[in-house]
Amino acid sequence: MNVLILSIFWGIVMMFSGIALKKKGIATGLAIAGVLILLLGNLGDMSTVVITTSTFNDMLAFRGYNVLFISIVLVATLMYFLVSGREIENVGTGGFDYYALIFFVLTGIVIASSFNNLLMLFLGIEIISIPLYILTGSDKKNLKSNEASLKYFLMGSFSTGIMLLGIAFIYGDSGSLAIVPAPSPFGFSFTSLPTLSAVGALLLMFSLAFKVSAAPFHFWTPDVYDGAPTVFTSFMATIVKAGTFIAFFRMFAGGFASVQGSWGLAMQVIIFLTLLIGNLTAVFQQSAKRMMSYSSIAQAGFMLLAIYAHNDMAKEGFLVYTAAYVLATIGVFALLSRVADPGFQGFNGLAKKEPLLAATTTICLLSLAGIPLTGGFLGKYYMLVATAKAGGPFWLVIFAVICAAISIYYYFRLIIAMYFKEGNPEMAPVSRGLKFWLVVLCVLILALGIFPYEVLLNNLLSL
Amino acid sequence: MDVLLLQAVKSVATADVNSSINYLPIVLQLLVAIGIVVLMMTGTHLLGPKRKTEDKLKNFESGIDAVGNARQPMAIKYFLVAILFVLFDVEVIFFYPYAVNFRALGWEGFLAVLGFVGFFLVGFIYIIKKGALSWED
Amino acid sequence: MSQLVYLVPMFPLIGFLINGLGRNVLPKPLVGIIGSAALLASFVVSLLIFNEVRTPGFSAVTVNLFDFIHVGKLNVPFAFQVDQLSVLFLLIITGVGFLIHVYSTSYMHDESPSSYARYFAYLNLFVFSMLLLVLGSNYVIMFIGWEGVGLCSYLLIGFWFKNADYNYAARKAFVMNRIGDLAFLIGIFWIFAQFGSVNYADVFSQARPGASAHVLTGITLLLFIGATGKSAQIPLYTWLPDAMAGPTPVSALIHAATMVTAGIYMIARSNVLYSLAPATQGVIAVIGLCTAILAASIAIQQNDIKKVLAYSTVSQLGYMFLGLGVGAYTGAVFHVMTHAFFKALLFLGAGSVIHAMGGEQDIRKMGGLRKFMPVTSITFLIGCLAIAGIFPFAGFFSKDEILSRAYAHNPVLYVIGILGALMTAFYMFRLYSLTFAGKFRGTHDQEHHLHESPAAITIPLIVLAVLSVVGGWVGIPEFMAPNAHVLSKFLEPVFANSHVAAPPGEIAASTEWALTIGSLVLIIGFCTWGYMKFKNFTLAEVKESTGLAKILENKWYVDELYDAIIVKPINWIAGFLNNVVEKLGIDGLVNGVGKLVQYGSRQIRLLQSGQVGIYVLLMVIGIVVLFVLQLFFPNLI
Repeated sequence: MNVLILSIFWGIVMMFSGIALKKKGIATGLAIAGVLILLLGNLGDMSTVVITTSTFNDMLAFRGYNVLFISIVLVATLMYFLVSGREIENVGTGGFDYYALIFFVLTGIVIASSFNNLLMLFLGIEIISIPLYILTGSDKKNLKSNEASLKYFLMGSFSTGIMLLGIAFIYGDSGSLAIVPAPSPFGFSFTSLPTLSAVGALLLMFSLAFKVSAAPFHFWTPDVYDGAPTVFTSFMATIVKAGTFIAFFRMFAGGFASVQGSWGLAMQVIIFLTLLIGNLTAVFQQSAKRMMSYSSIAQAGFMLLAIYAHNDMAKEGFLVYTAAYVLATIGVFALLSRVADPGFQGFNGLAKKEPLLAATTTICLLSLAGIPLTGGFLGKYYMLVATAKAGGPFWLVIFAVICAAISIYYYFRLIIAMYFKEGNPEMAPVSRGLKFWLVVLCVLILALGIFPYEVLLNNLLSL
Repeated sequence: MDVLLLQAVKSVATADVNSSINYLPIVLQLLVAIGIVVLMMTGTHLLGPKRKTEDKLKNFESGIDAVGNARQPMAIKYFLVAILFVLFDVEVIFFYPYAVNFRALGWEGFLAVLGFVGFFLVGFIYIIKKGALSWED
Repeated sequence: MSQLVYLVPMFPLIGFLINGLGRNVLPKPLVGIIGSAALLASFVVSLLIFNEVRTPGFSAVTVNLFDFIHVGKLNVPFAFQVDQLSVLFLLIITGVGFLIHVYSTSYMHDESPSSYARYFAYLNLFVFSMLLLVLGSNYVIMFIGWEGVGLCSYLLIGFWFKNADYNYAARKAFVMNRIGDLAFLIGIFWIFAQFGSVNYADVFSQARPGASAHVLTGITLLLFIGATGKSAQIPLYTWLPDAMAGPTPVSALIHAATMVTAGIYMIARSNVLYSLAPATQGVIAVIGLCTAILAASIAIQQNDIKKVLAYSTVSQLGYMFLGLGVGAYTGAVFHVMTHAFFKALLFLGAGSVIHAMGGEQDIRKMGGLRKFMPVTSITFLIGCLAIAGIFPFAGFFSKDEILSRAYAHNPVLYVIGILGALMTAFYMFRLYSLTFAGKFRGTHDQEHHLHESPAAITIPLIVLAVLSVVGGWVGIPEFMAPNAHVLSKFLEPVFANSHVAAPPGEIAASTEWALTIGSLVLIIGFCTWGYMKFKNFTLAEVKESTGLAKILENKWYVDELYDAIIVKPINWIAGFLNNVVEKLGIDGLVNGVGKLVQYGSRQIRLLQSGQVGIYVLLMVIGIVVLFVLQLFFPNLI
């Protein structure tokens, strides 16, 4: 509750600071202060120190898992601001406005991670999406950015329509918009839904799959990620993705969990396609930025496994995976947004010029590839075990492992370019503060891989 | 059910609410609607006389000869103002349900609406400060 | 105090970090001081802990540091266990280790500053690993220490890595150890599978007589194979003599205080399991005895001063395993302790001799060193007397305890054991005689340089010599003086369970007296024989040996045997796999998969046309297909 109110409030504060304060340089500081306040508020949510106990007629629920998830998102946002603050200020004209939009996205994420009602789901997803259309097109002078924004908007509205249709179907069939009237959702005590609701659930799944860029609804992702200013691509690929994923998770691993008969097969197909297309296409990319956008599709495939499995292991693993993926991706994009040439050849010989930056990026890439000792490994491990434990199709687990192996190929291309190729990459100057925070980021990733309980999961037990 | 009267017999309806037979009137209505449209369109098309002249196929702009292409760029400000108008126009729509329930909602409702208007006011101030409504640069 | 046990391994770790990281900046004296001080500090803490553990009624304390592994049912805390057994080992490791460090400051003085620091860093790491091994409260922590010890032995044996032979020796040690480690690891897995835990307390409390005897036999056999690797028993003993490639203090450390005693410790620690698996105990006893005899016989014909000592270690370890095999856990641990004293003494003495001889290790080219190096000579003699088992030196008591228990078990074991002891007496005095007695047989130049070693070398020798004399008095057998076996009382809580499971056999005091005096007379006889036979040895007597002597000189051709039956076939198989299976099969498969991926990538990439219309069309097709699949064929897969 605190975070919801505070994030709106801080968004407005950022808006007006842009008008009142002409100096752009303090925007980042103000935003960081805002995230810290949000984190404090979230701490309050964890320990029931709240501004108001209202739950909007049970439409939102702030407890346990969601709150922990929100804190992951907030910590990731903090790291994102610390690492990319300068870049955000340098895009377009209004650093403050972009920060305000980011805070509004956070509001959306808070709603999307704590909704108890389909209406709130819709609201959350839309509050996330609309600022993103603007952020995508924020580089107004750049045609590619404009094109990406328009494409994103068009296709995003398409998926929004699908989502509304799905909600309408469900409402029409069950007469209720609430998602968790336990023990069985919508009062159905079967393992599958009646046809109308099933159609609604599938439509809902397709639109959410669109938002998390799962195949075959992923087509917008590469174009939009490529066209958007790199620093906002980083935001979209990490924090926003996590925020939409929690909505997906809450809807299908929570509300629809007991009626998997109605959506299990479609989900399997989506996971399979996402893993296949994400990993295969990433192999052939010539631009690291585009490779990262396919990698984000591929990683989504793994995260979908948690939704499919939806057992306790999956719940734990989903947190670990999200945290590891988000942090590592922020780390990689921090370098990407500073290199002049986003193609692989633009990284040649970077290890000689910026050894520390190359090292942190390598750790992040290793985590993404799922090499042991990193959080990414643990996340992948959790996903696979959870799926196996849920009795999930064995072939899917094997296929996921193969895809993880393929992913090593394209992640290591970047490492090879940095360490084993000769060249003199052009890049923006890198401040000491950035290096420091990148090291902190890597320490977090490693700590997550080695002490997952101490860093993260023990909180889950205490909530 | 009496099909001709397009009305469900009550006893049948109470016996099985979810039976799809209850939706038959809607289907019939759909069919009739589509049928009328198709009939009208094809009827006029077939019956009406056809005289094609150059003048008739010309663009018509209030009696003046057409000048240039209609799809040319125009200042973004038009769109901006139009969009903002829609935004604040929609705000007013929300007052209708409030007005109807004004007494029932009491002070709590009043505060809620005040908050709602307050948010819009904040947005409005922001817009003005940003210079979105100033026509001259 | 026992709560502070983590300090014991911490000091060497800190020493390792300081010396290792600062190897290019720290001056040599400081490096030596840091390395030794770390051990001294550990020793002092160990003494304090010992003081607490010594009090009657002390029960084992587990010190939890942090959660190490926590996955599903597997819960491995990073915890230390303080009890009588671990404290005893702490004292041996840190005490003897400290003396060896002090000794090294002088012995390694000719090294360059950075490699000097590297040496001390390794040495500290070695001790740290060993402390971890004995302190861990579960098999996983023990295994970490176990591997650390293996690593450090590799690093130290190959310390002079510019010499290719030394590297081969290091590699051999490592590979031999790995074979054992694998078995140990499988054993740990099996323990977890069987008992659901790897903590000593849980495992031992669940191990009950009659419960799945064959499983216990399997587990204990696997652990024992692990022990044969670390503790150099048949069939994995061949690395230990080759490990002489390392600097002499390292040999002393490996042989006396650390590494080779790991296997003994592990079995003594797991005594509850072993007592419930008599079949394994039989195997251990037989292997131990065979090793003792085999190594002793090889030692008789060796001419390298360190090789003789190395084989004597293998032989003595054999006795310890014999003790473990017949259930004399106290005796085995006792022998570990006394052996640590006199073997460290002998190695350090040998190092002193080698130092004085300018690197010469062939005892045929020594002789008459007694008058040049009096301290070394006398302390070495004490070491020889102790290892030969002459009353009242330390070795007598511990060896006697093992052998008398072996007698109670089976007199045949005893007879063979005595045979080995006689050989020990013979070759040790052959060694002493050739080195210190008679005339000097080296070059004139060497004779000119002969000198007694500096204090940093002689003081550890003297301390160890004193310990080699009095060290055995803590374990005076029952038949000589009732209730004088302090060590057995001290260790009683650790072995109490297995004494219940398999009560030790009793033999009459009169029999013991007869056996002891009889064997003592024989041993003294062999000592004298060995000494007198080689007192007047000259280089002229050296000739090509024949028959048994030649076989012994070539160490029963065991290395060659291993080469022929294991290494060669493996090489052949590896060649086959490399040239045929790998090149044709796997490479083809892997490259094929890679090509397939690339091809697929190229094709799928084309879907991304950049046109929104096509995207939406593809999405709609996807929606329709998914709808059809889910609504009409929900059970397709």
